[in-house]
Amino acid sequence: MTTLAVLLIVGFLVLLPMVFLVEESLNVGDPMAFPPVEFGIANYIAIFEEDLKTVWNTLIIAVMATVMAIFIGFTLAWILTRTNVPGREKLERLMELPYYMTPLVGALAWAVIAGPKSGFVNQLWKAVGGTGDIADIYTHFGIAWVMALFEGTVAFVMISASMKSMDPALEESARVMGASKLRTMLTVTLPLVMPGVLGAMLFVFAEMLGSFAAALVLGIPGRIYVITTAIWDSTLSYPPDYGRASAMGLSLFVVMFLMLSFYRRMIRRGTFTTISGKAFRPRPMEMGRLAWVLFSVCALYVALAVVFPIAALLMTSLQRFATVLLDQAQWTLANYHTALSLGPVRTALFNSIMLGLGVATVGVVIMALLVWIIYRSQLRGRGAIEYLVMFPQAVPRLVFGLALLWAWLNIPIGIYGTLWLLALAYFTVMLPLGVRTLAGVVLQIDKSLEECARVCGASWGYQMRTVTLPLLKPGILAAWLLIFMACVRELGASAFLMGPNAKVIAPSIVSAFATSGTELTAAMALIQTFTVIVALVILFRVARGMTKELQ
Amino acid sequence: MSETRIEVKDLVVRYGDQVAVNGVSFTVGRGEHLTLLGPSGCGKTTTLRAIAGLEHPSGGRISLEGRAVYDAATRTNVQTEQRGVSMVFQSYAIWPHMSVFDNVAYGLRVRKQAQDAIKANVERALNLVQMRHLAERGASKLSGGQQQRVALARAIAFSPTVVLFDEPLSNLDAKLRAEMRVELRELQRRLGITSVYVTHDQEEALAISDRVIVMNVGVIEQIGTPEEIYNKPRSRFVADFVGSANLIKGKPAGDDTFVTEGGTVLRVMAPHKPHGNETEVAVRTAYIGLEPMAGENHVPGKVRQRLFHGDFVQYVIDSPVGAMIVRRPPTNLLPEGADVTLSFSPEHCVLLEA
Repeated sequence: MTTLAVLLIVGFLVLLPMVFLVEESLNVGDPMAFPPVEFGIANYIAIFEEDLKTVWNTLIIAVMATVMAIFIGFTLAWILTRTNVPGREKLERLMELPYYMTPLVGALAWAVIAGPKSGFVNQLWKAVGGTGDIADIYTHFGIAWVMALFEGTVAFVMISASMKSMDPALEESARVMGASKLRTMLTVTLPLVMPGVLGAMLFVFAEMLGSFAAALVLGIPGRIYVITTAIWDSTLSYPPDYGRASAMGLSLFVVMFLMLSFYRRMIRRGTFTTISGKAFRPRPMEMGRLAWVLFSVCALYVALAVVFPIAALLMTSLQRFATVLLDQAQWTLANYHTALSLGPVRTALFNSIMLGLGVATVGVVIMALLVWIIYRSQLRGRGAIEYLVMFPQAVPRLVFGLALLWAWLNIPIGIYGTLWLLALAYFTVMLPLGVRTLAGVVLQIDKSLEECARVCGASWGYQMRTVTLPLLKPGILAAWLLIFMACVRELGASAFLMGPNAKVIAPSIVSAFATSGTELTAAMALIQTFTVIVALVILFRVARGMTKELQ
Repeated sequence: MSETRIEVKDLVVRYGDQVAVNGVSFTVGRGEHLTLLGPSGCGKTTTLRAIAGLEHPSGGRISLEGRAVYDAATRTNVQTEQRGVSMVFQSYAIWPHMSVFDNVAYGLRVRKQAQDAIKANVERALNLVQMRHLAERGASKLSGGQQQRVALARAIAFSPTVVLFDEPLSNLDAKLRAEMRVELRELQRRLGITSVYVTHDQEEALAISDRVIVMNVGVIEQIGTPEEIYNKPRSRFVADFVGSANLIKGKPAGDDTFVTEGGTVLRVMAPHKPHGNETEVAVRTAYIGLEPMAGENHVPGKVRQRLFHGDFVQYVIDSPVGAMIVRRPPTNLLPEGADVTLSFSPEHCVLLEA
């Protein structure tokens, strides 16, 4: 009974919107009619007839971004796990920062740095006597570059995980046999981590196909549309073409879903024979003087993905008219003042934080319960629950937003255009994140710790209160903060679900970028980033406490 | 043992502010099989890895064939791959993405040998470990024992003069380990390889070595042949770690006399010149008889406990010099409570250095 109820509720949240989306994508009559009166596949055919260029753009950008992300990820992973680069542990922490900066902020920053004409790089170029622009971020390459820097971090995480789980003796024996460092890397390290690299490639490529923020900020000015921005665009036209948007969204979903399923099968099959799951004591290679070269490589990455973007945004936000030439700068705090006093912006920020607090708090409780059902209970059908809960991961945020929009336009409960719908949407798309984080902690806790409490005579409630919950506490805190951060920066799903009376911050930043100056946008982006950073600092504190406690 | 192949002098290795190896010196002669023996954390593996160049020492000198490969004084540190040594790793480190053949051929290919020479050498090496029939098999499909053989073949395929072994048998089950021990010893003799072998298993060390170095907390406790180590332990640590021994407290009275705390006078053997401050003698459990023999030390005792082990019987015997453990062949079993006379020769009653 319990299982059925849980399945129904989760299914309602997760699957029902997708059903509406399928129905709408087949609607060839009046796009606003519900239920549709005429069915056909015209919307799908149109993708191939009219949007080939968009498909082509999407593929080119995703391929470029994936190649760059994997290249960067592999290089950094190798440096940070296999060599004695100075300051290794500190550098490794820094590698996560670009991910927390979000692609939206990254794209805005790079628009400031390398936009045509007024971009800082081009301003400097002209100041030293150059003509024309030497950098233009509003191109296919520019979009891919920003995606790789700010969304490609997962490649680094995945590849370095597979390098860490490799027995260092495998490399050492090659060295003893007389192979140089380079030869060792090419004949031993590279082939051994290849399955991990391929997996990361597949995963990152799927992510890049569904990426939205960078293409939205950098693609639309140059009229470079990818699938996600084309979906966005066709709902903005008049009349909004929901049928077409749904068909594109579903096609994108199917492609991504297939790739992710293939990826999952790949890791489950035993191609990873080297990866025993055993953790090895890292024995980095001595690089001698080369170590400092490798350090510079890492530092360059941090500069490109964190320092320059933040510096550029800071400079821009503190000036009346953004310039990198300091003698022309007019410094002011007015932009922050405007951002914080402007009614809509202030409400948007307030709404985002409230949504973050609410969704994180209520969400974590429900997710903890789900985790307990999935991983600790003996209920039948818990596998199905797990599958449903993880499902939103395979749906691009934007497409899920579209599905929810269409579903709640048609469900006769009046939450469309309110914060309630956003809260519901956030909760649903955060399910995989929260459940995975909590499951990580639950699975670490040996079952016998709980069983021992019961044997000692504790009731279920007493055991939960005295053993399970205290052990889970750090994990719950971490999940809460991750969800809070993800809510504050959420863009994809919010873009469609935000109403005039329910604004949130990320889409507001995008529209400020389109309508008002970069200076104000930069100030808003930094305020959002600052909120995330505060949460991040707390998260690191908690994480450190957690590892200590578990040891 | 004519010429020196490996020379380690005053080696110091630090991990942060922890000293793993603290001034270790020894030499290994041509064709010699030297074993570093000690409990985990004693610095034996670190010493071995420093010889291979996998660990960066902070002091001392290491020479291979008379060439300094590490010298703190001249800041020499030859890269691992240029040292020309070979090594068998504890985890075998068989590359799972290659076939058995490719694994074994690796060192030959690095040395740019001709195609047919590679083939011949790989076959020879695989023959030596009886693995020729599995040459084409993927290395990830091997059992533990097979991986161990491939690792051995790989280490000897390019005819290195020095092979380092890092606890190569510790991951095998007891029976296979005993078999491989015999094979290893034979192979080492046949090929005339100079080898340094690391193990924490004292039985293994005694069985297969020409010389044994017993290490503890980063320093050498004793160097000697297996017989020397067993029969003339220098310190309490060696007597205790290698084999099993009874320790009797007291103090020396003259060069070959020892008075126990209970006042019993024993005639002893001192491998070193006594200083007078020694406090213990060691008597191996296997060297004590239970009937008086002419010319030996005699101590009366009473059997407190008897444990039947199969290959031997272990008695715990209360005596004026303390509770003594005695191992005898499983014949003529004595009942618990029986009165006996402990009897052991002076040369098996070893005065330990303070």
